[in-house]
Amino acid sequence: MGRPPVAERATIARPYARAAFAYARESKGFDAWSKLLGTAAVGAADERVARLIGNPHVTSDQLVDLLGGLSKQAAGEHGRNFLRALAENRRLALLPEIAAQFEALRAETENVVDVEVVAAREIAAPQEKRLAAALKKRLGREVRMHTRIDQSLLGGAIVRAGDLVIDGSLKGRLERLGSALQNQ
Amino acid sequence: MSIKASEITDLIQARIKNFEAATEARNVGTVVSVTDGICRVHGLADVAYGEMLEFPGDTFGLALNLEQDSVGAVVLGEYQHISEGATVKTTGRILEVPVGPEMLGRVVDALGNPLDGKGPIKAAKRSPIERVAPGVIWRKSVSQPVQTGYKAIDAMVPIGRGQRELIIGDRQTGKTALAIDTIINQKGTGIKCIYVAIGQKQSSIANVVRKLEEHGAMAHTIIVAASASTPASLQFIAPYSGCAMGEYFMDNGEDAVIIYDDLTKQAWAYRQISLLLKRPPGREAYPGDVFYLHSRLLERSARVSAEYVEKTSGGKIKGKTGSLTGLPIIETQAGDVTAFVPTNVISITDGQIFLETDLFNSGIRPAMNAGISVSRVGGAAQTGVIKKLGGGIRLSLAQYRELAAFSQFASDLDEVTRRSLERGQRVTEVMKQKQYAPMSVAEQALSIYAVNGGFMDKVDRKKIVDFEAALQAFAKTAHSDFLKKLNEKPELSKETEEGLKKICEAFLATGAY
Repeated sequence: MGRPPVAERATIARPYARAAFAYARESKGFDAWSKLLGTAAVGAADERVARLIGNPHVTSDQLVDLLGGLSKQAAGEHGRNFLRALAENRRLALLPEIAAQFEALRAETENVVDVEVVAAREIAAPQEKRLAAALKKRLGREVRMHTRIDQSLLGGAIVRAGDLVIDGSLKGRLERLGSALQNQ
Repeated sequence: MSIKASEITDLIQARIKNFEAATEARNVGTVVSVTDGICRVHGLADVAYGEMLEFPGDTFGLALNLEQDSVGAVVLGEYQHISEGATVKTTGRILEVPVGPEMLGRVVDALGNPLDGKGPIKAAKRSPIERVAPGVIWRKSVSQPVQTGYKAIDAMVPIGRGQRELIIGDRQTGKTALAIDTIINQKGTGIKCIYVAIGQKQSSIANVVRKLEEHGAMAHTIIVAASASTPASLQFIAPYSGCAMGEYFMDNGEDAVIIYDDLTKQAWAYRQISLLLKRPPGREAYPGDVFYLHSRLLERSARVSAEYVEKTSGGKIKGKTGSLTGLPIIETQAGDVTAFVPTNVISITDGQIFLETDLFNSGIRPAMNAGISVSRVGGAAQTGVIKKLGGGIRLSLAQYRELAAFSQFASDLDEVTRRSLERGQRVTEVMKQKQYAPMSVAEQALSIYAVNGGFMDKVDRKKIVDFEAALQAFAKTAHSDFLKKLNEKPELSKETEEGLKKICEAFLATGAY
């Protein structure tokens, strides 16, 4: 069985993520569930574990023990039940997708958004503050910034929030100038 | 002449100076799969239906399927350079084409790019290809004619400005010829023409262009070409592009005619796209919305009121109505008009001209079947003289058809029946007309008057065509003033009737046929 494409994986993962999210909200256990899904996702994405997931000699109970055991205190009985349901439906491989969707749902209710800022150079603290304030205004919610340095941008920065990309890099501008010169 | 290096430097410098590099904020996605010109894109959360997407390498696409986790887009043009993982950006725009008088005389592709090697088109305006048709309030009823130049059509199935008249028939029955002659006949009338070629051979398109140039008809014509070798996406949008170009003239208080040659092939292209997008197939494997595909296109052909023109032109043009006459063409297979697409388009249009292989092969050209061809609104637009004279034609042909079938069994016929048959045969002969030989209203009136008035009854049936030609030549040399006057004021008064009678009698007296 090949890996389903990205779009399909997201579609299959959605009901699981929604269910986990709804339960976590009712039981007010966002942090514990985040931790459980986060660690299980990392585990499931690991190559050695991924090989076990498709292996007929490994029972689903063993897999649940393995993945649940990665974060013992966070799992609890309900967490293990969730993993068991995934194992029975043979969807453990979708854990990274489920975790990502869970985090997205959580961010939405908590009114925060994860923003990736790729800059050509180290961003100074006051600059970062101003950027965060500007983004908060633009996106209309609290911003969790993750900065990364990429010198190939030459200058400026690229801001990514979900599907929205704000390209203020020198590299992007040069590329646009290039295509403008080539056309007409 | 060689180009100086400094010139190029200056040019580039100017362009860099004018280049505005604003920070761009866009929705992006990633290509998941590319199959036969269809891309599945992950991401693009805020994309709109029908929005233009930007692919790498200056390629554009249309978002046609918006699903929960992906977007199905069709690539407009080549797609070989797009690979999995490529970045796709939204543009926030609906697909647009250049419009305006600058387009006249040009051959363009479905996106409005020139194909004729005559340099770039400096059109001042662009217009979205999909637009909602003018509403009921803004419309005016059809009241002016579009002369095709064919006796048979102008007399029996007249076309009015703003009407939609379907031309339907098998392959090789003269559908395109009819359309081309209509374009040629609009020379000097101020009516602009748009010819949209969909899924045709490049050689056929080149032929059409050459013929139009030969007859000096390119100056008022735009040709939108989406040949058989262009991707299905472009064949699908070509009619909408052409329509947007025609609407420009309508909105500015002018009259235009648009010919879609042919919508069967457009429906095929759309079927291909739909199936590749995994939309469920229906009858004849067409998707569920083929009817809407054609109805929304043909509904944009309209006659609009002076108020509408004033509104769209921003108050600059006053007191002028505009129109866009639609002449869609449908190709049938072995005369089957009950197939899916033909029935749809027949029901949408305001009438149809049926062309038949049998008639074509027996030398009746245009090969129109007068019995089942109709024009539902054109009668109101017909010129007075043709309307009065043409009524007799329809009647005698109808009687002829009835008797012709019946008389095959009877050995000897009574006088009335025989005369009716003879008249019918002569009318059929007179309705024949060569290609690239459109006739003016007065010329048509003369021919029809001559056959209706019984001036051809004594002429041998096989000689009718020659007789008519000689009559026309005679009238043109000896009575050109009368013809000119009739063309200016095409009413059937007592005076005109007498004038026509005089010409016919004078011609018979010469015995020059």
